[in-house]
Amino acid sequence: MLFRQFKNPIFAILVACAAIAGFFGEPDQSIVILLMIVIAVVLGFYNEYKAEKTVQDLRQAVSIKAVVTRDAKSSQIDSKMLVPGDLVSVYVGDLVPADMRIVKLKDLETNEATFTGESFPVEKTAERLDIQNPTPQQLTNYLFMGSAVVHGTAQGIVVSTGKRTKLGAISGSLTRTHPETEFQKGVKSYGNMLLSLTIVLAISIFSLNAAIGHDLVWSLTFSLAIAVGLVPELMPAIVTISLSQGARRMSNVKVIVKRLVSIEDFGNMNVLCTDKTGTLTEGKIALKDVYPLGEEKDHKLLTYSLLCNAAVIGDNIVGNPMDVAIWEYAKQINAQGDAEPYRKLDEVPFDYQRRMMSVVVRKNGEFALISKGAPESVFSRCKYADVSGRIELITDVQKAINEKFYSLSELGYRILAVAFRNVESKTSYSVEDEKDLTLLGFLIFTDPPKKDAHDAFDKLNDMGVAVKILTGDNELVAQTICEDLKIPIKKVVVGSDLMQMNWNEIKAVVEETTIFARVTPEQKLDIIKALKANKNVVGFLGDGVNDAPALYEADVGISVDTAVDVAKEAADIVLLEKDLLVLANGINEGRKIFGNTMKYILMGTSSNFGNMFSAAAASVFLPFEPMLASQILFMNLLYDISNMTLPTDNVDDEYVKSPKRWDMSFVRKYTLFFGPFSSLYDFLTFGIMLFIFGASAAALPGATDAVKLHAQSLFQAGWFVESFWTEVLVMFVIRTRRIPFFTSRPGKWLALLTLSCVAFGTILPFTILGSFMGFAPLPPEYWLLLVLMVATYLVLVDAGKVFFYKICKY
Amino acid sequence: MPNIDLFAWWALSISFSSIFLTLVSIYLFINSKSRRKEDTQKKASVFRTGKSFVFVFALLGLLVFYIFSIQLGSGVLSESVFTVGNIIVEALLVLYLLRNRETESENK
Repeated sequence: MLFRQFKNPIFAILVACAAIAGFFGEPDQSIVILLMIVIAVVLGFYNEYKAEKTVQDLRQAVSIKAVVTRDAKSSQIDSKMLVPGDLVSVYVGDLVPADMRIVKLKDLETNEATFTGESFPVEKTAERLDIQNPTPQQLTNYLFMGSAVVHGTAQGIVVSTGKRTKLGAISGSLTRTHPETEFQKGVKSYGNMLLSLTIVLAISIFSLNAAIGHDLVWSLTFSLAIAVGLVPELMPAIVTISLSQGARRMSNVKVIVKRLVSIEDFGNMNVLCTDKTGTLTEGKIALKDVYPLGEEKDHKLLTYSLLCNAAVIGDNIVGNPMDVAIWEYAKQINAQGDAEPYRKLDEVPFDYQRRMMSVVVRKNGEFALISKGAPESVFSRCKYADVSGRIELITDVQKAINEKFYSLSELGYRILAVAFRNVESKTSYSVEDEKDLTLLGFLIFTDPPKKDAHDAFDKLNDMGVAVKILTGDNELVAQTICEDLKIPIKKVVVGSDLMQMNWNEIKAVVEETTIFARVTPEQKLDIIKALKANKNVVGFLGDGVNDAPALYEADVGISVDTAVDVAKEAADIVLLEKDLLVLANGINEGRKIFGNTMKYILMGTSSNFGNMFSAAAASVFLPFEPMLASQILFMNLLYDISNMTLPTDNVDDEYVKSPKRWDMSFVRKYTLFFGPFSSLYDFLTFGIMLFIFGASAAALPGATDAVKLHAQSLFQAGWFVESFWTEVLVMFVIRTRRIPFFTSRPGKWLALLTLSCVAFGTILPFTILGSFMGFAPLPPEYWLLLVLMVATYLVLVDAGKVFFYKICKY
Repeated sequence: MPNIDLFAWWALSISFSSIFLTLVSIYLFINSKSRRKEDTQKKASVFRTGKSFVFVFALLGLLVFYIFSIQLGSGVLSESVFTVGNIIVEALLVLYLLRNRETESENK
């Protein structure tokens, strides 16, 4: 990390400046420049180290869990607590928590793209393999840490953990890259603007000074100093501080930032796509009732639901919330024992294409295949229906079944269907066996609407964030919940409608639709792509295994702590509570961070350009250097230090009310407009120092070296102090659109550090350090004129600010 | 009387930065007007336009005043003129800002 600091090209320019100064007999200059480099490197290193530590700490809050069986008892533990020899179970959506030898599996497929780059699923086996010196790809009876389970289930014995795993050995070189964020793109184009301007200005200054007869070495050093002066050396450090401190504050409002650069886009997103569970509803799924097809209620439907169930029963019941809800319901009515006479023989695991699962059980020598899943999926595989013990053709009772299903859906219930058929005994069963089933009935689940969901919706709406519901459920359920919560629905579109649309139609429909129902994972991805193509900054909140592609595609992928591992891994931001209000608070923090970062960029660029432009112009008509390279660098460093607490500054309420975008044209206009203010007052200071305090004596014919040196030192001290005062104090004006101090107070740490730096800059010419740097003490009259001048400057900038924001909207 | 060559260079430089800022302001104003033309047909009166440019008038006034006071050279007179002039301009600008901000909030 320390070495990374030196990779910054600015340091190469600084080292060149130091070398030139040292080589041509100015060792003092050389030492000061080298000192600047050391300070900038130390500050950069310290802040990056702190930021990285912050991210690591925060990531620990979102740990990955593993289901482990120890002493014949299953429990869920932090995956970091696994040790070799543990028996671990993995399910669809899990990230494999350690390297494991598979001992048992069912239709297991994993995605090992992390290692191989190949996203096609790899089929696994529990068989022993006889391969000499196998590669990891050949070890299909192993599961490797970091790969994702995309299909099936397995149990394996842990063989290595942490850094001893295959992933541990190669980590660092294998990370999935997220697309560049809007903020990163903005900073890149800002850097390009800065670079081109710096090159043009440095070359012009060198040529001009050389052309009018200034010493070539002096011209070169001075143009390099101007180049360095233009660049905000500590900008990367300040942006990092801003982001890491923001991430820490966000963790206080239960928002964990996994990727720092995503904070800015998080604050600036204007569309949030989310599912409804946990956001519109409480996310506490409970089995309300079981509905057999006939009038009579028997326990068969519930017993079969307990058997066709992927929940892990240990000290706690863990697994899919609906499976867990079935067990909890059975426990409440003391029916969990009904499943005991059955022996589970095989399982056809759940997947998102079939949207159902099946098991094969045996009781008293009879074998039955039981299926449970989305009603539409189960219906299509049923031939018969069990109506109060009578087996009828499903076509005969289809109308009644559909009526019941729709009436329950309209009430906002989530519904699963259960079916079965007797099967022959065989070694293994597959999806092909899920046919000619007999429908038993429905399981009715409730997930009560969240009381504060309406407020959260309103709050996000007020913040300029449009919320869109993307759900795999049917439209009736989603619509009913929205109506219950009085959430306005503009339009409802179902997945089958989307399939009929071309790309332009999708782009148009995504803008006006509130609910997308029955959408597949691929359609979720299309919706996000269409919204992004319409120039929206899109956030996606998802927690399922099928949400991972959308989480990667969105500008900001948001997940929750209870999500499946792959979703958490794909997300940029993880909420410790799945709540839109928590999200809204996080967005608010994100906007504050963006606001404070923009303050630094806008102010720094404008002031730097103003100052450097003045220095360049002055170098042409002055008989001496208006400011030494080391003095320019020192001022830059002091200015940057004064800005170190900028991330803690207060941000006006109206600023965080709406999403902001990085607007390069605005940055250009801002620099063009506010830069000359600073130049104007620099020139005024030149006039005061030259013609009121006698620095023009250096230009008089016959002036001695001592007179020249004093005049130069006085001039440089006078400009240094004025330039620093204006550069730093203008921040109090620019940081707000309101009346500075009266209607918008700066953060206390910002005010304290800034004023301390101003005090330091003020006394500098009177100190040994000041004299070492080439400054002369300033006369008392100077301070009166300085105070008046700076006061006028600040009021003039404030007037300019009112004008600017009236015509340049941001 | 200061060194005339140096003074001329200085006056030229400070004038250039002020005029540059004035031109940038005019450019931004015209640019924003042309962008808004499509949204609204409301024509701004000369008075309203002039009012928007108060800070530019203050800027140009300050330029003349600064050149004048610096031209007086060192001594109590130039320092006094500089002090009084700054205070007057500052007071006028503060008044303008207070009134202008009031108008803005009324518009909201």
